[in-house]
Amino acid sequence: MHNVASIEVEQDMIIANDELAYENRKKLDENGVFSVDLVGAVGSGKTSLLEKLIDEMDEDIAVIAGDILSKFDAKRIEDKNIPVKGLNTGKECHLDAHLVEHALPDVPLEDISYLFIENVGNLICPTDFKLGAHVRTVIISVTEGDDTAEKHPMIFKGADMAIVNKVDLAEAVNADADKMVNDIHRINPDIPIIKCSLKTGEGVSEIIELYKEFKESRLKK
Amino acid sequence: MHELAMATSIVESILNVANKNEAISVTEVILEVGELTMLNPEQLRFMMDVTRKDTIMQDAEIIINMIPIEVECPKCKYKGVTEPDEHMDHLMAIAICPECGQTNLNILKGQECNVKTIKIEREDENA
Repeated sequence: MHNVASIEVEQDMIIANDELAYENRKKLDENGVFSVDLVGAVGSGKTSLLEKLIDEMDEDIAVIAGDILSKFDAKRIEDKNIPVKGLNTGKECHLDAHLVEHALPDVPLEDISYLFIENVGNLICPTDFKLGAHVRTVIISVTEGDDTAEKHPMIFKGADMAIVNKVDLAEAVNADADKMVNDIHRINPDIPIIKCSLKTGEGVSEIIELYKEFKESRLKK
Repeated sequence: MHELAMATSIVESILNVANKNEAISVTEVILEVGELTMLNPEQLRFMMDVTRKDTIMQDAEIIINMIPIEVECPKCKYKGVTEPDEHMDHLMAIAICPECGQTNLNILKGQECNVKTIKIEREDENA
């Protein structure tokens, strides 16, 4: 004979990820490392932004590059001679706290002050998964179309800052960068937004300034 | 396809609980999925069918209850569900308070991916 039982499970997968993310954050805080989760679509300029920041910030930086199926992004950062951990997600479309937890032991936390985590190129899948970084930056570019922000509200709702890239190309692709900024502010009125061009360098110093402010306010000492 | 990652975690956590309770099979699973998550219930179901194959839960009935979006407005204190208007993507419902139009809302519900309950069969000790 068998008996049947009903069992309360109450296990939320998103909360389980949040808890792991909290552990990652604690580890980063303990090591005095300020970290950024960099999210953006394929071709929005995530890796280019990192290259620029590595060149222009006077800080010890490491990168976790979450490129799918290839290590191309990791190779581009490696050429800058800084520590980089390539996270080959293989079948995944986003990083999660668990993957980052496993990557952290390969990052020399004691030697760095900034850790940039480049998420997989995607504005949808990473939304629900916190990594434990101090700041989530969402980067979009005018070439994706100026309706990109309003089409992906949830990623901006959970972001701490936003970057609108390739503004030098706005006219050529008939996109309105100010509309993109307004759309983001409609979704999340409080976040700082920087219009930039990683090609001309416009806006890069503002981004660096913003990271310094966030580091001051969010890194627990 | 982030549903695969979720489905893997869900099946893993159900099998854990089932094993702890000495189940010989799982017959029913109730999941709660928030409307605001980036989870498509049909894809989630499909991925769970793949990940639970050849386990003690392979024949369980999977019930997915969608949890509506609930917000709280810091300005007018409105608390409750919110519906998107016809010009909006459904997720844009989080952008505007249905009462006062304020645009910075706190999200109360709609972000769940919860294994609520399971039904299991086990050997009857008195048999």
